Amino acid sequence: MELHQVRYFLAVAKTLNFTRAAEHCNVTQPALTKAVQKLEHELGGPLLLRERNLTQLTDLGKQVLPMLERTLASAEAVRTTAREFGRREVAPLRLGLSPSVSAALVLQPLADVLDHVPGLRLELCEASPEVLVAMLLNGEVNAALMDGLDASGDRIDSWTLFRERFVVLVDAEHPFAGNSEIGLEDLRGQTMLERVGHDGRDSFRQTVFEGVEPRFGHRSKHDTQLQHLAAAGFGVLISPEHMPRHPGLMAVPLRSDVAWREIHLAVVQGRRYSPALEAFVKVARLRDWSLAVRSTNLDPSRQHAPAHP
Amino acid sequence: MSRRMSHDRVRSEIFAEFNDEDWSSYRQLVGWLREIGAADGALKVGEQAPDFLLPDADGNLVSSVRLREKGPVVLSFYQGGWCPFCTAELRALQEAKSEFEAAGANLAVVSPDTRHFPRQLRKEYGFDLTILGDVDYGVAMAYGVLFAVPEGLLQHYARRGVDIGGRHGSPVTMLPIPATYVIDRRGTIISAFVEPDYALRQDPEEILNALKEAVR
Repeated sequence: MELHQVRYFLAVAKTLNFTRAAEHCNVTQPALTKAVQKLEHELGGPLLLRERNLTQLTDLGKQVLPMLERTLASAEAVRTTAREFGRREVAPLRLGLSPSVSAALVLQPLADVLDHVPGLRLELCEASPEVLVAMLLNGEVNAALMDGLDASGDRIDSWTLFRERFVVLVDAEHPFAGNSEIGLEDLRGQTMLERVGHDGRDSFRQTVFEGVEPRFGHRSKHDTQLQHLAAAGFGVLISPEHMPRHPGLMAVPLRSDVAWREIHLAVVQGRRYSPALEAFVKVARLRDWSLAVRSTNLDPSRQHAPAHP
Repeated sequence: MSRRMSHDRVRSEIFAEFNDEDWSSYRQLVGWLREIGAADGALKVGEQAPDFLLPDADGNLVSSVRLREKGPVVLSFYQGGWCPFCTAELRALQEAKSEFEAAGANLAVVSPDTRHFPRQLRKEYGFDLTILGDVDYGVAMAYGVLFAVPEGLLQHYARRGVDIGGRHGSPVTMLPIPATYVIDRRGTIISAFVEPDYALRQDPEEILNALKEAVR
């Protein structure tokens, strides 16, 4: 599969006209047609329906179009931007995070991107998964990390980055503190602290608390405030494991197969990536996120301690 | 035992494990790749190698410009940690790595595997290699070594428990033709080995000879 074949096919897919596509690509129409035919042969069937005055994508053409757009963009980024990455031109990256995804999770990969893309200008924003999807489609954010990606539709590309368990956060004097884990049934009768707003937690609540009636007491929109309440003994808080914790809190894992969630990376299908976004998406899709989940709550003084004194 | 003999022996061992379906799949794919001229557009000696920025097995970005700052680069495209010919090649490259480094070169291997798969490969074989993830196939396409995997082959691997597209995070599954490039400090390709018969890989001895040319 060659670059020019894909480029010519995408030009026809865009213009739905072989003559205009050939003009656009600055080649003769027979050369363009031959290249598209070779691509069709490789992909195992016609990508375009050619009728006298009408050119349309076949089902196979529609199926492969987004991926070929992405691969061509990635290949062109390889050819044209490896040197540009190093330039100090402003490279904006707007990253959306759902409320239960901490910025602490993405700092290290973003620092790596900054090392290679010195012009990186980062903008972080927080919104519910549903709002983040709308913001992606409107171009208000370039990528988003979120849980509960249910209604993404076919205009969003998404990848599961990692699975994460939920823990129960309690103050150091709480009877749960020091337990290696607790069961959902242990939460019966406890005063739970409630996060207000949509964050995929509603479905989580329904799943986790099926058959167990939680007693929600105090509420807030913000994890920091909820953690302060938990540390002061106002109740117990269910929190994703990676969430950086107030120093007065102890995390107790939940003994449950359902107290897990997946975090997804989402971008808009077919939209061209900026150099900063290209680098971030690539890093995100290979990174060992389980390390980040564990490290956000390590004692900083112990992170640099020698393994053997 | 010379490296070439060792490679031939490993290849024979892999073939010895083949059943009828494996042989049929192997012959069909190699024949089809030759028929469509899949390697015809691959970059050749004397051409400029496209520079890239790709994540390694830990998700840290590796720049080809930085790789070739101090010497030539050996860049080897392999199909994935699921491919026995590839793991055999990577073992041979691992053995030769110190000799490449003694010749002033950096070695990097690249496949479309994403997520934990490159880390798993490194751990399973104890590799100390720069293993890069060609996310979305951009580098393989830029080098002209990319092909779309025929549906029959995908089904063959699925029956063996290998979900190639799932490893790539891609709805359309593509693979590189195994290829090894030696690129000099200026970014010019000084050696290119591109072989649609994916059981054949370049002898590390030949790579070393190319490196000696590069630093001459």
